Amino acid sequence: MINVGIDLGAKNIKIVMVSNGEVIARGITLSGFETKENSTALFDSMLQEHGIARGDISTITTTGSGRKAIDFATNSITEVTAATKGATTLFPTSRCVIDVGAEEGRSIRIDPNGKIIDFALNEKCAAGAGAFIESMGRALELTVETFGPLSLESDKEIPMNAQCAVFAESEVVSLLHSKTEKKDIAKAVNDAVASRIVSMTRKVGFEKDIQLIGGMAKNLGFVDSLKRALDSELIIPDFPEFISAYGAAIYND
Amino acid sequence: MITQFRDWDLNRHAYAKEWKERTGGKVMGYFCTYVPEEILYAANILPVRILGSHEQNDVTEPHIFGMFCPFCRDCLAQGLKGRYDYLDGIMIAQSCLHIRQAYTSWTKHIPIDFQYYLPMPNNVQSPHATPYLTAEYIQFKEAVEKWIGKEITPDDLQRGIDIMNENRSLIHEIYNYKKMDNPPLSGEESMEVAITQQMVDKREHSVAMRKLLDEIAAGGKSTKNTSGTRLMILGSENDDIPFVRMVESVNGTVVTDDHCIGTRYFWNNVEPGEDLITSIAQRYIDRPACPSKDWIERTRIPHILSIAKEFGVKGAIVIQQKFCDPHELDIPAIIKSLNANDIKTLFLEFDVTVPLGQFKIRVEAFLEMLQEDDLF
Amino acid sequence: MSIPTYKTEALKSWNKAKEIRNDFYKRYQNAHENGGLRWAGGAWSFGAIPCGLGRDIFPITGEPYAAGIAFNKEFSLRCLEATERKGYARDLCAYMRTYWGSIILDEYLYGGKFPKPDFMWQDHVCCSHSKWYQVASELEGGIPTYSIDVAVGPYNSVTESKIDYIVAQMQDGIEWLKKTTGREYNDDLLIEAVNNECRATSAWAEICMYNMAKPAPLDEKTMYSLYVLGTLEKHSKIVADYYEELRDEVKWRVENGISATKHERCRLISDTQPPWGFLDVFRYLEGFGAVSVGSLYTFGLIGVWEDKPDGTWGPRTTPAQKGIKIETREQALRILADWNLSKPEWQHFYSPHLKSDMMIKICQQWQVDGVLLHYNRGCEGLSLGIAENRLALIEAGYPVMAFEGNMGDEREFDATKTMSRIDSFMETLGMKLINQ
Repeated sequence: MINVGIDLGAKNIKIVMVSNGEVIARGITLSGFETKENSTALFDSMLQEHGIARGDISTITTTGSGRKAIDFATNSITEVTAATKGATTLFPTSRCVIDVGAEEGRSIRIDPNGKIIDFALNEKCAAGAGAFIESMGRALELTVETFGPLSLESDKEIPMNAQCAVFAESEVVSLLHSKTEKKDIAKAVNDAVASRIVSMTRKVGFEKDIQLIGGMAKNLGFVDSLKRALDSELIIPDFPEFISAYGAAIYND
Repeated sequence: MITQFRDWDLNRHAYAKEWKERTGGKVMGYFCTYVPEEILYAANILPVRILGSHEQNDVTEPHIFGMFCPFCRDCLAQGLKGRYDYLDGIMIAQSCLHIRQAYTSWTKHIPIDFQYYLPMPNNVQSPHATPYLTAEYIQFKEAVEKWIGKEITPDDLQRGIDIMNENRSLIHEIYNYKKMDNPPLSGEESMEVAITQQMVDKREHSVAMRKLLDEIAAGGKSTKNTSGTRLMILGSENDDIPFVRMVESVNGTVVTDDHCIGTRYFWNNVEPGEDLITSIAQRYIDRPACPSKDWIERTRIPHILSIAKEFGVKGAIVIQQKFCDPHELDIPAIIKSLNANDIKTLFLEFDVTVPLGQFKIRVEAFLEMLQEDDLF
Repeated sequence: MSIPTYKTEALKSWNKAKEIRNDFYKRYQNAHENGGLRWAGGAWSFGAIPCGLGRDIFPITGEPYAAGIAFNKEFSLRCLEATERKGYARDLCAYMRTYWGSIILDEYLYGGKFPKPDFMWQDHVCCSHSKWYQVASELEGGIPTYSIDVAVGPYNSVTESKIDYIVAQMQDGIEWLKKTTGREYNDDLLIEAVNNECRATSAWAEICMYNMAKPAPLDEKTMYSLYVLGTLEKHSKIVADYYEELRDEVKWRVENGISATKHERCRLISDTQPPWGFLDVFRYLEGFGAVSVGSLYTFGLIGVWEDKPDGTWGPRTTPAQKGIKIETREQALRILADWNLSKPEWQHFYSPHLKSDMMIKICQQWQVDGVLLHYNRGCEGLSLGIAENRLALIEAGYPVMAFEGNMGDEREFDATKTMSRIDSFMETLGMKLINQ
């Protein structure tokens, strides 16, 4: 039988299909306004592509901020539980999971049995997520793909206000006006977001191993900033943006 | 002329460590300028005000909710990062709620030998505040005596008062020069003198101020342009030297201020009285008020207006630390009064770091507006 | 986990509480009709003192008035925006901004124009307290205002000189009241009010004590509507009598196993004022079988408590219970000052660690499974040190869910996100919605 996990995030819908503990399919599409329709379309196309019959599916578990939008789910769990389940199944030594997506960052502290001890989520007034980096990228005329690698080329430390996205943006504008190099600004932005995420992580307290999941784990510049701010190595799984969907899929096991 | 002050400012921690080694004395970190440093000098303790470093930090989030001012978080971060590891004691005199949290988190998470919360009264307009504060000072003095294992005698107290009064009088002399046209010191330079008042042994600081005054008397003058539009800067705690430097780089000259680093700190002396402790208490009750204590009458407004007049101010930059409630409660009334008295204002909200480029545009526009006034 | 089911029943005295509240606002509005006087001040101000001016002195307290406005989202937003237009910052106390807005718009929540007070009578422990009425007076075109500084440190360090300072301000305040109103001052009325205040605030603590029972006879959402009477007129006979009646009813509920919620299986406490426009958060929690049995806020904002000889927390013994007869003005004022200084919600102004200790004590004594901390952007006073409270509670082994919001500015509360956070928290406690 096949278990399905659907993570309806702020920006993307991610679907993972699991059979006997093995991932057999992954799919991703933009959430858009029509979350329900978009996830149904993705789900159906994945069934078709992988030759899976609807009757082979035993559970469909949703998670993510839009998790209640789907009516064909058999179960629904929160992002915190899904991220923890996915991350600790892949790497059981993880004691802290940092999940940074488009709109939200979260830090979860876990005991050796995989039980959640504490979690924190970023608040309204915090420039701590991918969407912020994207918008800064637009100000710098950089794509998401080039932003991370470019920031790795910089060795400058430029302090930037990470408390408030509006303040931060005006600082980016100031830096552009003063002809600061793009790579240095990109690094400053990554450092600022990493600083916010580390602030939040310190709130729950952390011990090693620390695992980073979510779409932002693919921004190498951000990963580097985070490692430096935490003064620690990070476990980054393959397909980091699919970990919560994976956790949802295997939740019923 | 101000190299010594700038060195002290940049190397504040090294200075305090060196002072400790040299004198064998204790160092007390303090929050808020309502701390009666006279009593600390009487006990041969070096009072050092805890200030921030203007860097972003990721260590205070677990301790202080983000809706409180960036200054209090910056201060706590210095402690958590171990930059004040030489302190023997830490204390606060009660003022606003924000900075209080830096103190209460410090006492819990950073081991220290001595800690003291001094409940400085808020109703400084009541005649009962002075006797109450006197009683609190007596209790505080006893706690310090117990800590240092030595009695603080009336002679000691008189010495503490003299050290503080001399230092305050000298900086007044320096500020008096700033009333002149093209003053001999820029705003950035006088700010360096004022900031270091709060971290350097006042006796050494006074020696350096005398030297500076001698140089000025002998015709010494800043290399900076001080003939810009005369500005006052006022509001929340502000030790942002790069900001003042930026203002002066676009032809503004900061001639005075109403800040707790600056005039609010040094404005008045301890007046002689029958009882030394009462005299010290009276000094802190009478000093230019922090907005958290400026009620029910608004005494700050006539005071600010009179300073503005005395220093020939054309415009005022009103700054506020983000989320600083006490100043937020005063700023609308202050702006209204300044404007009514033909002093134009520019309001800016400060954070740990400020976007200098953006602020520069606003300051330039403000100065252009003031300069146009001069033309017509 | 098996799901318990309990008997529930509406409170018999519920309507009476509502009537007292409505009357309060009407009496204030109509005070001038029979030559009475109106005063405005904070919920913590020493309301017993103006009572000496006569039986026709009617207050309005700013915080509960503004909280009432928060329920009316349209009016609330207009008030907040009116204040912003006057140049006041958006991050100031939400109650204060709302209250000023009601003055600026000259609209009273209960109909008509905002009834101008004859004087303002405030006290000061939070930075915003006296400044609130300083500005309110300016907005009203200059109303005589008096405020008493009570920020003398925590009760565990109280000294005679601290009490002297407060009492001296009170004594001056009485002279100021006489001068401002042109009335004589009657000490018997003051003494009566002080006795009422001690009786009311101790009785409220007694009511909260009954919530130690499992299942809890009251849920916090209900308690909000009851404790509020103390924030209106803690010194009045009406409120003191009502709390004694309510205490007897709550006792009866415990004896008869009447529960506040049908399926109590998880006991929580909260902290600080809730986002008033979104009390359905508590109904949502009920869906999981989770009930908030109170908070330091509902217990100790108005309730006055003391440590009992066995180390537990209980209602503070009133002077009357101790057999003390108050005979003079000075004695009444000293008792009033001392009584209020022991108020639990005044202690954390000096140290969050004192508050953490009290919260942990509540968790133990009320058998609490988890804590919801409202990081309240609307109240710097009660959010003071809340991050340290969180650390201490976790260290003591209590699961904590923190959420940001604002008691009186709905623009700063994200209901959807909060509900989703509750889902996560409940999952970590092993709870699912009961109807699932």
